Amino acid sequence: MDITRRQLITTIAKAGVPAAVAVTASATPTLTEHIPVPSAAVGLLYDATVCIGCKACVSACAAANDTPPDTRGDELHQAPSDLNELTRNIIKLYKPEDGSPGSFSKRQCMHCLDPACAAGCPFQALSKDPETGIVSWTAEKCIGCRYCTITCPYHVPRFQWLGFNPRVTKCELCRHRLAQGLKPGCTSVCPTGAVIFGPRTVLLLEAKKRIQQSPGRYYQDRIYGETDNGGTQALYLSHVPFEKLGLPELGPESVPARTLRWQRRFYQYFALPAVLYAGLVQVIRKSLAGHEHELHEDEKRTGLRAQL
Amino acid sequence: MSGEPLNDNRWERCVPVYGFPVVTRFFLWLMVLILLAFVFSGYRELAGLGPVSGMNDAFGWGIWKTFNLMVLTALGSGAFAVGIAAWVFRRKRMFSLMRMALLTSFLAYACGLLLLGIDAGRPWNFYWIVFPWRWNMHSPLAEVAICMSLYAMLPLAIENLPPVLERLWYFDSRLRPGVEKIERRLHSVFPWIISLAYLLPGMHQSSLGALMLLAGERVHPLWQTPWLPVLYLGAATFMSFGCVAGTTMLCCLMWKRAMDMDVLTEAARITSWLIWGWLGLRILDIVFRGAVETAFHFDRFAGVFWLEVALTVAGGWLLKRSVETRDPQPMFIGYILSSVGGMIYRFSPTTLAFRPNPEALYFPATIEIIVSLGFISLGIAGFLVAVKRLAILPAPLHAWHDMANYFRFRRPYIRWTGYFQGRYFGSEEPKTAQGDD
Repeated sequence: MDITRRQLITTIAKAGVPAAVAVTASATPTLTEHIPVPSAAVGLLYDATVCIGCKACVSACAAANDTPPDTRGDELHQAPSDLNELTRNIIKLYKPEDGSPGSFSKRQCMHCLDPACAAGCPFQALSKDPETGIVSWTAEKCIGCRYCTITCPYHVPRFQWLGFNPRVTKCELCRHRLAQGLKPGCTSVCPTGAVIFGPRTVLLLEAKKRIQQSPGRYYQDRIYGETDNGGTQALYLSHVPFEKLGLPELGPESVPARTLRWQRRFYQYFALPAVLYAGLVQVIRKSLAGHEHELHEDEKRTGLRAQL
Repeated sequence: MSGEPLNDNRWERCVPVYGFPVVTRFFLWLMVLILLAFVFSGYRELAGLGPVSGMNDAFGWGIWKTFNLMVLTALGSGAFAVGIAAWVFRRKRMFSLMRMALLTSFLAYACGLLLLGIDAGRPWNFYWIVFPWRWNMHSPLAEVAICMSLYAMLPLAIENLPPVLERLWYFDSRLRPGVEKIERRLHSVFPWIISLAYLLPGMHQSSLGALMLLAGERVHPLWQTPWLPVLYLGAATFMSFGCVAGTTMLCCLMWKRAMDMDVLTEAARITSWLIWGWLGLRILDIVFRGAVETAFHFDRFAGVFWLEVALTVAGGWLLKRSVETRDPQPMFIGYILSSVGGMIYRFSPTTLAFRPNPEALYFPATIEIIVSLGFISLGIAGFLVAVKRLAILPAPLHAWHDMANYFRFRRPYIRWTGYFQGRYFGSEEPKTAQGDD
């Protein structure tokens, strides 16, 4: 009985190890290395060369999201210094010391095609809509671990530090307005058309057209977000290096795909841990038998009850 | 026994620390800290994290997570590292350290997880943990949260039951049939439980390292590497050996117990090999990634790196030397130095070497430090109660008989210590001499 069971388990292990290794090594490239673009992906196109820094989008954003204006700076103007728990969208100024051309920069969630925040979120509180591709936050699932504030390469999600019921604040592309057939708050007020809203494919065509029409105007004749970080749904055109706008050069592979490759392979279908567990049980059954035998011997020798 | 050199101090049996009161001045101070921590935790639940901590938008994680959870559970991985040495690699003498390892692990994990509940901004949503289809299976943090709580609540708690059951067994002869029945059941499931107790920590201690992979460039290149999970796991193994063996030595010093240098030397040998292996991987990784020149910049990152390397090297060297000389003093210092080095390593990627932006700073607030210390005190207080009431600390066989005599002749009125009811000393009628002082 014992031998047959052992044989059974050994056989399973012998078959299981190659199978698990095969699963780990092969099945995942489809999961990590190909990032699908959502069918109806919408996004923003921000052209830094057109932006005049009027900050109309900042107050429109707060109004559209029912957020009180952040006037904590001087108790008068809505002039937050960075994204925060009241500010989903902000205009920043890049002004070089040497007098070379500066630029405004609009910062909000990039709605990455493979978002690092959602990859790290333990209970899917941050999730990407399979159709529109909007990355949004669900209060009922968030445990407030603040891992998203660590993982986001653009440092967008912000945690509310005050109060017993903190929330995570980030741009959700005004999805409540989209449902009503309206455009996001920031794009609806922009006087120069520096930020426009539309399907991602259309925005990409528009951006390419602008680059074609005025060659040399844009940095590297490149659209930030076309492939950067695996592609984002907020696209940027700029005349200064993107890094100066606060957009790090992350390469064409998304952060989760690049960094969690082995983590994901290891836990694919839980195959490897399961095989490891089966092997451990085998080893420990044998150890336990030997150990109990020894304890029994000690018990006889000392006359005291064995301690496991 | 046969073939082995004579060792008067051979640890053969775990014996409670008897004859010392549980409530001491130190214990009362711990209680004060625990109470303060609970009060401040209550305040934090009402006021939010901002007023009680130094955390900010750039440093979203403070010492509650990065020290109490990430660093202290590495120290508390003894049940994993010592257990694997004993059960998987069958280092038989390591079994005498197992109860210490299991207890320290359980306390470190329990206190860390409690504080994790305080640190989470919306802890009421933790109930999602019972719905597996809601998990984000590929999130390192989900892996950590689920594995850790599962590990502390199931395998670790169950593995800590034998000393408790043993106490009940000695406490009252009427309880014995029931206790023995539970013990038999426990033994039949032990292989499955013990294996789980090695699989789960292996998974979550490495996933703790994987947490910072997603932070990318914001972790200094001396620390950010695809090997972070392996290095985190490796650091946990030698740190926990240091914690278990070091704590045991400290207890032996404090309560005047004999030290079994056979066991301690073997533990030191294993630890020093773990340290050299870990350091080798750490240095090779830095060299092959081409990050080695950043170690020679004159900045705080290089300083932290060299401090960490110097401490682990010094600790490893002292341990190696103590293996040859069998001298407990350098061994103890070696354990402390190497563990502190490992602690600095585990603390760095999230805090010391984390640079979200150039002007960001984090320093824990006073309340934050008090709460952190309070939850550490909870673990220490639990440890003190446990070693004084349960058979945790290993001792030579004669210590058990000494305890018998102590309770029989000096404190005949103590019933509640439970170990010596009537004439029951062992499983049978006492055959061996009890009065051999």
